[in-house]
Amino acid sequence: MTHPVMKIEDLRLAFPISRSLLDFIQRRPGRAVNALNGVSLDINKGETLGVVGESGCGKSTLARCIVRLHKPTGGRIHFAGTDIFDRDTLRDRSYNRRVQMMFQDPYSSLNPRMTTEQILSEALRVHKMRPEEDIPNRIAELLEMVRLPQDSAQKFPHEFSGGQRQRIAIARALAVEPEVLIADELVSALDVSVQAQVVNLLLELQDRLDLTILFVAHDLRLVRHVSNRVAVIYLGRIVEIGDSEALFSAPSHPYSQALLSAAPSLDPDDKGAAIRLEGELPSPLNIPPGCPFHVRCRHAQDQCRADIPKLRPLAGRGEVACHFAEEINQSA
Amino acid sequence: MRKDTILEVDNLCTTFTRGGVALPALRNVSFSVGKGEVLGLVGESGSGKSVTLRSILGLARHYGEVTGSVRWQGQELTAMSERHIRRIRGREIAMIFQEPMTSLNPLLSVGVQITETLKAHTDLNRAARRDRAIEMLDQVGIPSAASRLEEFPHQFSGGMRQRVMIAIALAASPKLLLADEPTTALDVTIQAQILDLILKLADKMSTGVVLVTHDLGVVAQTCEDVAVMYAGRIVEQGAVRQVLRAPRHPYTVGLMRSVPQDVPPRTQLYSVPGTPPSLEALPRGCAFAPRCNAQSTDCLAARPGLTAITDDRRVACFNPVPAPEEQAV
Repeated sequence: MTHPVMKIEDLRLAFPISRSLLDFIQRRPGRAVNALNGVSLDINKGETLGVVGESGCGKSTLARCIVRLHKPTGGRIHFAGTDIFDRDTLRDRSYNRRVQMMFQDPYSSLNPRMTTEQILSEALRVHKMRPEEDIPNRIAELLEMVRLPQDSAQKFPHEFSGGQRQRIAIARALAVEPEVLIADELVSALDVSVQAQVVNLLLELQDRLDLTILFVAHDLRLVRHVSNRVAVIYLGRIVEIGDSEALFSAPSHPYSQALLSAAPSLDPDDKGAAIRLEGELPSPLNIPPGCPFHVRCRHAQDQCRADIPKLRPLAGRGEVACHFAEEINQSA
Repeated sequence: MRKDTILEVDNLCTTFTRGGVALPALRNVSFSVGKGEVLGLVGESGSGKSVTLRSILGLARHYGEVTGSVRWQGQELTAMSERHIRRIRGREIAMIFQEPMTSLNPLLSVGVQITETLKAHTDLNRAARRDRAIEMLDQVGIPSAASRLEEFPHQFSGGMRQRVMIAIALAASPKLLLADEPTTALDVTIQAQILDLILKLADKMSTGVVLVTHDLGVVAQTCEDVAVMYAGRIVEQGAVRQVLRAPRHPYTVGLMRSVPQDVPPRTQLYSVPGTPPSLEALPRGCAFAPRCNAQSTDCLAARPGLTAITDDRRVACFNPVPAPEEQAV
């Protein structure tokens, strides 16, 4: 039943930092922001894969690599049997249609000078989805699908609220009948009640259209709610991946444990056994050797400072990248 | 009234005017804050949370009309001249603004920005100000504070900048801290650190805190009392435990239910139907009535006032959701 539509293998991406004149004179080596450091991931047909992590951990970079907005410096992404960065596939525009991205900021991701109709018909025309005469009908259908009133077609983005704009973004992505949707912080900028409406819509459309969704977000409750599986990313590496409910109810990696316990509970008396993380995310310019998490980890030992732990299956759980996952979870 | 009340806001109304149309941004807001007490103000964007803070500090009166009373330790702030209020602003009442990215001056080093506050509000000399700045940075958890004084805001990460904001706000040891979404732009792990810090300070220096947020989880974990705002009015007010456990106003109920906690995964979430009204076209009756599932004809005709249902619990609704005990009967 679960066969992967997308296979990501050892994806790496480093953004070089331009060297200043002083760097050349002092012969300092060029530096790079290591955004992704070997991410391997399968996305299964029809599932929602949640991606969580702190800002700067590489969540959005991963999403952008998948839609070919960034070219990775290493690794491969396979979609429908072909490498998406192959020269032949690059020329083939159909990948751009089959995998669609929705962006975080509803205020900057829609062209302010185009009406909803123009925004949607542009997508339909570029990919030749419908003959010219059918386009108005299709637009009406799309507006209906995302529950926007029909008169929205003639309106400009500034006339809509944030939630409505995200609906337009969803309609634009769905216009070209994609198979995979990449939702990068789709609802993060919205108020809770509006957030709920958009999430409901997304879940409903997923069922109806058999979509595969990569849901990138920092709101853990929301990710737990929408995802089948969840990947936790830390400094450009997956530290834990597994079934959403299992991972959220019993995280195995010390970082996932700390991240999940930091989310404030709605119950005033549930102070939780909050694990306070010391310090902040190290800079991706200067990733610590060994396990990238060891500087903030309370279980860190010598081995953690030297070897990078690999992602490995843990009995009864998902996959974890931690040398001492068994010991930590036994004592817990 | 509690005897150690330091701030008393009574019937605060703020009106902005745009193109000749009056926008009632804030209406009849009343609450009080005691020493060392943490009050939460929650609501969706546009509900008037930030305007409340700005009206208290006398910032809103520059571009809007503020009526009602803000009593600060017996003095009336709304009637005070700009010169007087400047002595209170920053010294006795400090504010942490929402965006640490834009609220710091990018051209001045962090040290200058902290000592600036001290220069304005204390008699400390140059060396003492510097020592105090280092002490403050140290207190908010910025490592190697002395060397970071010379650095500029862009050299700090988001969490660190927010700490600098807090350090500036606390430099002159204010008695009241107005925190406008202090952690919204930050990650949960950093959020937890910052909230711990604010709570610790409230406890140690018995600073009163008004915490504005849209995150009910943050309120649950940090505040003792909470006021829920909708369309410029407080619709429910009370102790955090009571309000979050047994919300009485239908809007609070809706807000609580929209949060995906303890609901089966991948099911439809509850959402309050419709959207908040715009300030230009507020309904004649209760502003929430068009979205409310308990609305009656009364709600459309008249506006419910905030009335006490128990000693410290107030709700502005004609048909409040029954309390759990009443439901059971």
